[in-house]
This record gives sequence, structure tokens and C-alpha cells, in this order.
Amino acid sequence: MLKYIVKRLLQLIPVLIGITFLSFAMMRLAGGDAVTYMYENAGTSVSQEVIDEAKKEYGLDQPFLVQYGRWFAGMITGDMGVSYVSDRDVYDTFVEKLPATIFLMLSSVALTMLISVPLGIISAVRHNRWADYLIRFLSFIGNSMPNFFAALVLMYFLSVKLGWLPVITSENLALSLILPTLTLAVSMAAKYTRQVRATVLEELNKDYVAGAMARGVKGSVIIWRNVMKVSMLTIITLLALSVGSLLGGTTIVETIFMWDGVGKMAVDAITMRDYPIVQAYVAWMAVIYVLVNLVTDIIYHYLDPRVRLAR
Amino acid sequence: MTNEKITVRKQKIKRNHTKGKLIFFSAVTVLLLLTAAFAGYLCPYDPDEQNLLLAQQPPSLSHLLGTDRFGRDMFSRVLAGSTISIYATLILVAVVTAVGTLVGMICGWFGKGADTVLMRVSDLFLAFPSLVFALAVAGVLGGGIQNAVIALAVIGWPKFARLARGLTMAQKDAPYIMAARLSGCSTPGILIKHVLPNIAGPVLVTAVLDIGTMMMELAGLSFLGLGVQPPAAEWGSMINDGRSMLQISPWMALAPGAAIFITVMIFNLLGDTLRDYIDPKQRG
Amino acid sequence: MKKKIMAAILAGAVLTACIPIQAFAGEEKTFVYGTTGYSEEMGDAGLNPHDNYSGWSAVRYGVGETLFKYNDNMEVEPWLATDYEFVDDTTVKITLRDGVKFSSGRTMDAQAVKECLDDLIAVHDRAPSDLKIDHIEAEGLTLTICTAEPCPALINYLGDPYGAIIDMEYGIQGEGGSANVAGTGPYIATEVTPAQITLVKNEDYWGGDVKVDKVTVKSFSDGSALTAALQTGDVQGTYGLQYDNYVLFDGNPDYTINSCATSRCFFGQFNFDSEIMQDENVRKAVAMGIDKEGFCSVIMEGRGLPASAAFPDSFSYGNKAVTTVSYDPEGARELLEESGWTDTDGDGYLDKDGKKLTINWLTYPTRLEQPKLAEYAQSTLKEIGIDVTVNNTSDHMTYAQKGDFDVYVSSLTTAPTGDPEYFFTSTVTGPKNYGNYQNEEVTELTEKLHQTFDIQERSSLAVELQQKLLDDNAMFFVSHLNMGIVTKSNVTGMAAHPCDYYEITAELDVE
Repeated sequence: MLKYIVKRLLQLIPVLIGITFLSFAMMRLAGGDAVTYMYENAGTSVSQEVIDEAKKEYGLDQPFLVQYGRWFAGMITGDMGVSYVSDRDVYDTFVEKLPATIFLMLSSVALTMLISVPLGIISAVRHNRWADYLIRFLSFIGNSMPNFFAALVLMYFLSVKLGWLPVITSENLALSLILPTLTLAVSMAAKYTRQVRATVLEELNKDYVAGAMARGVKGSVIIWRNVMKVSMLTIITLLALSVGSLLGGTTIVETIFMWDGVGKMAVDAITMRDYPIVQAYVAWMAVIYVLVNLVTDIIYHYLDPRVRLAR
Repeated sequence: MTNEKITVRKQKIKRNHTKGKLIFFSAVTVLLLLTAAFAGYLCPYDPDEQNLLLAQQPPSLSHLLGTDRFGRDMFSRVLAGSTISIYATLILVAVVTAVGTLVGMICGWFGKGADTVLMRVSDLFLAFPSLVFALAVAGVLGGGIQNAVIALAVIGWPKFARLARGLTMAQKDAPYIMAARLSGCSTPGILIKHVLPNIAGPVLVTAVLDIGTMMMELAGLSFLGLGVQPPAAEWGSMINDGRSMLQISPWMALAPGAAIFITVMIFNLLGDTLRDYIDPKQRG
Repeated sequence: MKKKIMAAILAGAVLTACIPIQAFAGEEKTFVYGTTGYSEEMGDAGLNPHDNYSGWSAVRYGVGETLFKYNDNMEVEPWLATDYEFVDDTTVKITLRDGVKFSSGRTMDAQAVKECLDDLIAVHDRAPSDLKIDHIEAEGLTLTICTAEPCPALINYLGDPYGAIIDMEYGIQGEGGSANVAGTGPYIATEVTPAQITLVKNEDYWGGDVKVDKVTVKSFSDGSALTAALQTGDVQGTYGLQYDNYVLFDGNPDYTINSCATSRCFFGQFNFDSEIMQDENVRKAVAMGIDKEGFCSVIMEGRGLPASAAFPDSFSYGNKAVTTVSYDPEGARELLEESGWTDTDGDGYLDKDGKKLTINWLTYPTRLEQPKLAEYAQSTLKEIGIDVTVNNTSDHMTYAQKGDFDVYVSSLTTAPTGDPEYFFTSTVTGPKNYGNYQNEEVTELTEKLHQTFDIQERSSLAVELQQKLLDDNAMFFVSHLNMGIVTKSNVTGMAAHPCDYYEITAELDVE
């Protein structure tokens, strides 16, 4: 097992190099540079000399491969450079924003599972009855509602109309976590409920279920013991994807609720052509994916003996 | 003795029911696609015609869904927007699902080298932030909705590859596959005839549920210049535009929102029924 | 079952967390201010005036003050300085205000100001080229600045927020978006982060009694959230509310809207390298085909004022001083016909030699109004037979620099220091002249402006220059943005200012 994990972790290296090189090249192809953008966004203009000076300072006048080489060497030694825009250490900036992102990921995944697993099962067990139709209808709504839409609607009703929650707060973490978590959970729960329903339905039609039924095993036992265990495979595959993308940040939710995570930082960096931040972000995404997939495969292994880990 | 007869009857009813539903939802879907194709002829007003005197009118008999900030008829714009929104998204989802499923099945079935290589490639794309990629696409290929589709397609397929891979792996050693192998089926034959129908359910559900998300993602790239440019109507950007007006002129966001909802719902119901129909085990 | 218990526990935890922690309501007056104008992306996070645009924050939130300030007509007035005198073309003597103290306790004298300005020109990116300071001499309360070359706008530039005077002995505490400084303003920052600034009253403020005890400045990045926060009362004052949300507060007695035209101007540059645009009639027709009134009153819902030229009415060389074409579709059509553009194929668009009259309109979405303007102009220009393709992209700089456009619409704070020179040196003869507009006379006049000390004369030169630009149809000016501060109606002493620098002052009060 340990050997397997080490081997998988070693695979991180080519992925990391591949991705960062690709993104480095792409940001280059995309054109534009941070220095020009920064002055432009501030709405005032400076002379070309000032821009050239700043470019030189950041090494932007160097050839492409030199820039990449420098960056990669820096990354290995734990120095990811400074942001072109804020002039702050990239690593520090990044680490500062990670807890918020991880926190929100955990809370929204937890809430999503709490909503979607029971609802999905009810929907499957009550296949084609009113409860099923209602749950499916709600999941359609949740699914076709863009994130910001859910955010604004929740904000409007829970804050403006009912006055239960502040729009944003920095004093009380739990309080400020509620709206973003709910927003994310709305669309994710909608999606997962449907998945849980589909997989449970599929399992329920299998022979072993009929067999267990015939032996007089209680329905709830079959569902939790047998059906769920198998259905978990699909759910975990999806969950892994969700966790991965949530760890990459949720720009819209972060922007609306001023939740200071990596998503908004990344989008801002992309629009401002702040290469060092974008690169750090891309590297972070690479690490997340490799780790999340590794964990998923390990869970697969324990849940389903049919799936064997690649040697 | 009567037991068996009842079962037979039940099966018959269910199958017919599924078939009827399938026909019905297919018809509705075709209707939707036709509407989207000929939307230009169905609009009561010119969707691009501005009239500031009529700006932000609430829904009324003459303007069923109200008007936007430029005084354009929302109903006409929602109709006109269906063409781009539905077709661009469908193409995107279809490409992503087909490529992803194919790759996933190959990986799941053959394992070993092919699996490792393809999965590392898919890792690369999965881990690659779509915005960074879209930015590069915009820089190299320029703006436009077709490039937005390309950007999202290139970045989107691995998700389905992973899903299909997991499902295929679970099916691989099932007894019925063994039976098929023993009876001399070729590998492509097994994959298409036996594995595909058995994994199609979850894949289809995911694909269909992705339609709404993809519509919004397409719209989300518009700030990079990837997407429709004015005056063309497109649902995602119409919602984005109406976003700040939710408290003031809610119809500006709700009308295209409802259009996305209805479209997603129709495709979902079709997907569900289709799955019920092709999945052999669900017929019982 | 286990899951159910877990669910119950979690739900309980969430509910407990919901119970708001009651703040002890004391006698002290507090004010929470929400703004979309403070963030790391805007380059103004932190309070260190010598860093990028952070000086804006220092001045805006009442921590730092400059030697001179701008009045409502954007004319220079004394602030931390009381008087100035140009000894010769390159030497200016500035008398400082007596009895001003930094929040660090140090007394502000010429030596302290010299230290501050020396650091400014040593580390800031824009200041050295604006101020052209060679060296500074300090004696008591008299500061003598010697410039390397004549710098007529020096006093104006000293009013730029980067010129906020801070105590360099106290130094810069923290870095970047968390930098705190000791200024002379009515408030002292106790906590600075890129997302929030906490301010307390400066008991020793030289300008009199400060009325509010504690001010919190919160950064918002979403306009809708800011609107909601004002509605719920989470914030009592807002800056940068989205223009289409004002209607929620307009006419509501619970809120006060204070707005004023700023020198942020939405304007278009024609590309003189583009074949179609080289025809003056076409340029003029485009300018005549834009309905500024309709745009400002309906699309911008009154949050913008129609512009004739680069500077708003409050300036002596503003809109009223120049003449330009007005919205006239008929006249535009005639002009185009004169140049041989007619609709021969009956598709509603004009053509000449088999070529359709299509112009490429480049703009970017960061300023919400710009895509709207493009869309509206597309419709009004269609009326006169011009086909407009819009290229709305955040990558606009690349297109602009390549000259890949016919019309480039952007926005700019045209007179950040109340002086007109900046606009002409940057946009007309400088790096932002993307349309490659060349006119020797204009270049000469700009050079003359650069050399002129007399304020009256500078003003008339600015008028002359703008008129030239309009006569050449090199640019068209559409609208000046109204900057607005919306507060709860019990908040007083907060006024929008044409230069966008002064927000929280000693006047601020909550009743």
C-alpha cells in the first residue's frame, strides 16, 4: 500500500511540470502583461519608461524559457516569487487564503451530503410517487439556477427581507459561513440527489436485493448496508471532482460574500495577468487533483474489492 | 402459478409505459430544437430593436416577459437566444460526453499502459484551471462563441473519462461480461453492446445535468471576449446582465433563467426516460 | 440512525452559531462604510501613500492629508500647507501649517515633510516623473522644493494622494495591503488588511473635533452584496454602488444620495491608421450618431452626465468652454452620403465600392457602462447605416496596442490632480494615443501647456486643445461619471467630491 502511495505521489512530478509549463506558455500566448494592466485598471496612465522599468524589475523582459526556468527553480526551493500587482510574496498570499477555501469546501460538501443522500434514497425508494416527483422537480430548479442567482436570492430573503443573517461579516466565522455554504449546497445537492437516486435505483433492481428481500431482510438494512455501499462508488467519483473544484475556489460565491479564498484571487490574477499568482494557482490545482484522485482510488479499493489498485 | 402471469403482465405495462414516455419526451425535445432552430421567425418583435422609451417595462400583454434596459422585448430575446444557447451547449456536452466516455472505457477496460498514459493526460486537463485555458484560447484564436465551446470542450472531457472509467472497471469482471467473452464476442463488441448500455445510465444523467451548468459556464467566459458579442442574445449573458436588477426588474434575469430551467428539465426527463428504456435491467 | 444523529448535532451547531453575538452598545458613535473602491486588485489596499495607489486609501479614509487639496471646482487650496510661492521657474517655497501633529505624536515640520517626500520620490513609480524634484530644503516650517526642470503643475501634483504626508520616523508598519502609517488626518488606523480598515478618532486632530469614534471600512467586490448590506443596515454608507441600483434608494427618506460629476470620462478614440476612419466625414458621422443624452439618462439612469469634452462642468476649462456636434442622425447620413456612402444593396447598411460600412468598436467590461454604451451606439449607428461590430474583451490592451480597432472606447480620470496637462500628455501625445492621431499644432500646444505657469493661460490652452481635438474629430466624449455616496439618512458630513479622493473627513457624523 505504502509503495503504491509513494508511486502515485511520484507521478505528481510530471503532472506538475506539465501543467505549469503549459500554463506558463499559455499565459504567454494570451498576450498582455501585468504591468500595463495594472496601470490601465487604475484608470490613470504612466509613461512607457515607467512601464519598462517595472517590467525589468519583474524580469518580464527576459526570454520565455529563462522566465520559466527561474520560476521552476524558485518553486522547488519554496520561493514562488512576488505578485506583480500587490508586490507581496506569492506563497504567503496563497497560504493566507487557503484556510477559507478549505473551510468552505468542508462545510458545503458536508451539507450537500446531508441533503442529497437522504433525499436521493427517498426519491429512489418512492420511485415515481409524488415524493420522487417533488424531489426531482426541486433538483431541476437547484441545478438550473446559476450560483450567483442562488446567492442573491438567499441573500435577499435571509438577509434583506427576514434579517436573519448579515450580508457579510468578519466578526463571526460560523455566521458568515452560512450563506456561502447554502449557496454552494443548493446546486451541488441538486446534482447529487439525482446521482444518488440513479445509482440506488440501479442497485435496487439487482438480484441480490430481491434475494435479500425474499430472505426477509429489512428494507432499511438493505439500503444502508448493501445498496449504499455500492452506490458510494459513483458518489465518490463525483465527490472527488467536486472537492477538487471547490478547493480551486468558487469565484462567484467568494466575490459576493467577500469570502477571501483562492478562487477570486485566481480570477483577479488571470484578468490582471499576474503570472506568479496564476502559476502558483495552477500548481496548487495540480497538487489537489493528484491527491484527491489518489484518495479516491484508495477509497475505491476499500469499498469495492472488484476494483484493484493498479500495480 | 398465478404469480408468473402477473409478473409478465407487469413487465408489459411498464415497457409500454416507458416507450410512450420516450416518444412523448422525444417529441417535446424535437419541438424545443425546432423552436431554437427557427426562433428568428417566431419572434413577435425584432429582438435587437431598441427603444429607450420602453426601457425596463414589466411584463404586460404587449411584452409578455417585459423589456430590458434598452427597451428590447424580452420574450423575443429569449426566443432568439435559444438558438445559440441550446445548440452551442448541446454540441459542447455531446462532444465532451462522447470523447470522455470513449477514453474512460478504454482506460477502464484495458488498464495498464493505456490507462496510465490517458489518465495522466486527463489529470493534466482536469487539473488545469479552465479560465487560464480559456484566456489562452481567447488570446490565440480570438473571441467568439465557437472558441468558447472549444475552450470548454478541451478542458471538459476528462470529467466524463473518469466517470466512465470507474464504471467500466466495475463492470469488467461481471459474470455477464465473462459470458459474452466466452461466447466469442470481440472486445469492441463487448464494449459497445454490453459495457456501454450498463454505464450509460450514470453517464447520461451527468451529461444531461451538465447542460445547465455548461450554459452558465459558456456565459461566464464572456468577460474574456469569449462568447457572443452584442447585439446577439444568449441566455447566460442575459442572466448575467439582469443580475444586478434582481430587486428592480427581476424579469430581466428570471426570463432567461426560466428558459434555461425549462430546457434543462426537458433534457433531463428525456435522459431519464432514455436510460429507463435502454437499461435492460430497469425493464423488469 | 448514526447519520441522523450526526445531522441533528450539525444542525444544532449551525443554529447555535446563528445566535448573534451582541455587541455592547456604548456611548460611542460608530460608522461602517462599505466600498467597492478598496481592494488589492485596484492597487490601493493598505495605507502607505508611497506604494502604488494606496495613497488614495490613506486620503479617502481620513488617515493622511496632502499639502494642498482640491476644492469643488478642482482648484488647489491649502491644506497642510498654508501658502506657496514660486521663487523662480524651478524653485517653490511652501509654508507649512503650524501646530499639526502626526498620530505618532511627532510634530509636523519642514524636516518631517522633507523626509516623507524624499522617500516618495525614492520609491514611488509615478511621483518622480510628475514632480521632477531635484532636492528639498527644510527650515522650520518653510519647505523649499527645487525641481530639475520647470514644473508648473507641481502644486497640483502635490495634492495627488501619493503626496499624503506621513511620519517617516514612525515608518511603514506592515507591508502591501496591510501597511499602516502615521498621518495627520482625523482618523488613526488601528487595523489594516486588504479587506478591512478599522479607524478610531484622532483626539489631537488639528482641524477641530472629530465626531465619530470608530469607523470601519469594508471592502466589497460585488455591487449586489453592497446594495443588500446597505438595505440590511450592515453598512451605513456606501461608495461605488452599482449605477442601476440607485433607484432602490432614490426618493426613499431613509437614505441620502450624494453625487457629483467626476473627471472620469467615457470617451472614444478613432483609429487614424484605419482606412475607413481616415475619412473625416465618417468620424464626424459616428460622433453625431451617438445619443449621449439617452445614454446618460436611460441606460446610466442619470448616474452620468453628457460630455462635450474631457473635463466636467465644474472645471473652468470644462464642457461648457467647447463646442461639439450633437446627436443628429440626419446630418450624419448627409455627411456619409457626401463621402460616397450609400445603401445600394438595400440591407439597411451603407456601402461604397461594394464594401459595407462596418466599424470595429473595441471596449472592455471592467467598467459596466462601457459594454452598454457599445450596445446602445450599435443601435443608434445602425439607424444611420453604420454596422458596428463590438469587441468587448478584458484583453483590450492587446488589441488597442496593435491598432486592431476603428473606435476604442475607454474611460479615464482625465484630471486626477485638477490640472489638464495629464490628459493631453497621456492620451493625445503620449502612450495612450492608440488611434495614432497626429497634429503638429496640437503637439506644439501641449508642449506650451507643459511650460506655462499662469493658471489662466493653462486653462485657456486646455480649452484650445480640446477644441482642436473635437474639430479634427479625433475623439468623441460621451459621458462623465457621477460618483455617488449613498448613506443612511442619519449620516451627515459625507459628500461626493469631483476628484474622488475625499470621503471620510472630520465632518462625518452619525445622528
